[in-house]
Amino acid sequence: MKESVAITGLGVVSPCGMKKETFWANLKQARSFVDEITRFDAKLYPSRIAGQVHELDYYTHLSSRLIKKIDVFSHMALVASEQALQDARIDHTQVDKNRVGVFMGNALGGWLFAETELRDMYLEGREGISPYMASAWFPAAPQGQVTIYYGFKGYSKTIVADKASSALALWYGAKVIAEGKNDYVLAGGMEAPITPYALLSASSCGQLSKNNLNPQKAYRPYDLNRDGFVLGEGAGIVTFEKEAHARNRSAPVYGYLRGIGVSCDGYHYARYRLDPESFQYAIEECINDAGWKKEDIDYICLDGDATTIGDSNETMALKNVFGKKIGGIALSAPKSMYGNLLGAQTSLDLISTLLSMEHETILPTINYEMADPYCDLDYTPNVSRSRKIKKALILARGRGGINVVLAIEKA
Amino acid sequence: MGLKEEVISAIAKTLDVGEDELIEDKTLYDSIGVDSTEMVELTVALGKQFAVKIETDEIGKSSTPLEIVGIIENKKQS
Repeated sequence: MKESVAITGLGVVSPCGMKKETFWANLKQARSFVDEITRFDAKLYPSRIAGQVHELDYYTHLSSRLIKKIDVFSHMALVASEQALQDARIDHTQVDKNRVGVFMGNALGGWLFAETELRDMYLEGREGISPYMASAWFPAAPQGQVTIYYGFKGYSKTIVADKASSALALWYGAKVIAEGKNDYVLAGGMEAPITPYALLSASSCGQLSKNNLNPQKAYRPYDLNRDGFVLGEGAGIVTFEKEAHARNRSAPVYGYLRGIGVSCDGYHYARYRLDPESFQYAIEECINDAGWKKEDIDYICLDGDATTIGDSNETMALKNVFGKKIGGIALSAPKSMYGNLLGAQTSLDLISTLLSMEHETILPTINYEMADPYCDLDYTPNVSRSRKIKKALILARGRGGINVVLAIEKA
Repeated sequence: MGLKEEVISAIAKTLDVGEDELIEDKTLYDSIGVDSTEMVELTVALGKQFAVKIETDEIGKSSTPLEIVGIIENKKQS
C-alpha cells in the first residue's frame, strides 16, 4: 500500500447484535447465536439452522417507503453504513461527495426480494411482479442504494467472489484511498442467505451442518465431530481514509489495512484442493505485501470452514507457512458463534479483529470439544483469552478456490 | 367515500406516504418527489384496484392527484 490507510468507523448488523458495542459484548460471552430458522418453514431442508438478524427494523433509520423497494441485504448495508459514518464522525453533508466511494462485497444478491417476486410472476403474470425487482436483487444493489441514499458520487465498485467477496471489496476500497482517488470509502460486505432458495442453493454444496437438533452446537470448526458450517446473515461496513487525513480531523483510528495475498486453487468449482499449496501462497504473499516477518504476527482470524477437508487443509497451510512459530500465534474463528456470512464474512472478521485489538482479547472458537489429529493447533477453544494484538491476518476462502488473506495492524 | 377520496387514499397507500403529503393540484413529483419506478407501481396498483386499464404513459410524475382522479373517473364511465 503506497500510503497508510486508516480504518476509522465500524458498522455492524449481525446475528449477535447491532452496533459494535453489542456485537463485542455478545461475542465475549462465547456462546452461540445460531438457532432454528424462523423466517420461513424450513423443516424439509437438510440444514434448517442459521444465525439470523432479528432487530433490523428496530434499529433502522430508513422510511417504510424505501424499505419496501429494497432487499434485506441492502437494508442491512444501509444500517451498517450509517453506523460506520457516525462512528467515524463523518458528517456526510459536509464532505465532497465526488470523493466518497462505496466498495461492497456479497456472494448471492438479494434473494428474499427476488424469490417473492418470481413467485408472484408465475402466479399473477407480468403485472404481479414489483417494478423494484430489477433494482433490488442484483449484487451491486447495496452499493447503489448507499450511494443514492447519501448522494456519494466517488469511485465505487461491487465485488462478487463467494466467501472472499468482502475481503476483496475491503482491499479495493483501501487501495482507492491509498491512490488518492477518494477522500473516504465505505467498504465491507452484506449477505442475506436465509431465504428458501438461497438456503437450498447453499445446501446443495453439501457443506452446511445438518446438526439441526443442536443448533448452538452445530458450528464446530476443527472439532472431530464437525459436519459443516452454518449460514449467517448480516453486514459489516467500515470507513477508510488516509491516516494523515484521519489524524488531521482527530478521527478515531482502529487500525490499518497493510497488505493482501490472493491466489486461486484452479482445481474444482466447489471443493478446496487437498494440498494447501495455493492457500499457503496467499498467506505468504500477504505477509510479504505488508512487509512483515512471520514472527511479527500476533493473531490469525481463521476461515473455520468446519468441513473435514477445509479445516485440515487450513491447519496444514498454517503449519507449512509458520512452522514452529505457529505455536506463538493466537488463532480463532469467532464466526463459530454466529454463522458464516458468506460474502460478508471477512468484513465482520475485520471488525471483530479490530475490537479484539482494542480490548486486548482473543475471541474463542466455540464448540471445540474433541481433538481431530489433523487439526492439532490451539484454536482458542471455547473461552476468550487476554492478549495484546498488534498485527493480525484474516483468512478468507471462497468455493471454487479463491483464497484471500488481509494484513491488519492496530493503530 | 367518494371516488376522489378513494383514489387519493390508494395513491398514498401504494406509495407509502401520508395522505396529507399529497396536494390535490400539485404534481406527485413536486409534492412527494415520486420517481419513475414508483409511477409504474402506482399505475399497476390503481388499475387493479379500480378495475380499469391505465397505460404507463397516461399518468406520470407530472400528474396531480386530481388529474389521476379524472383519468380513472373517465375510464370507469366509458
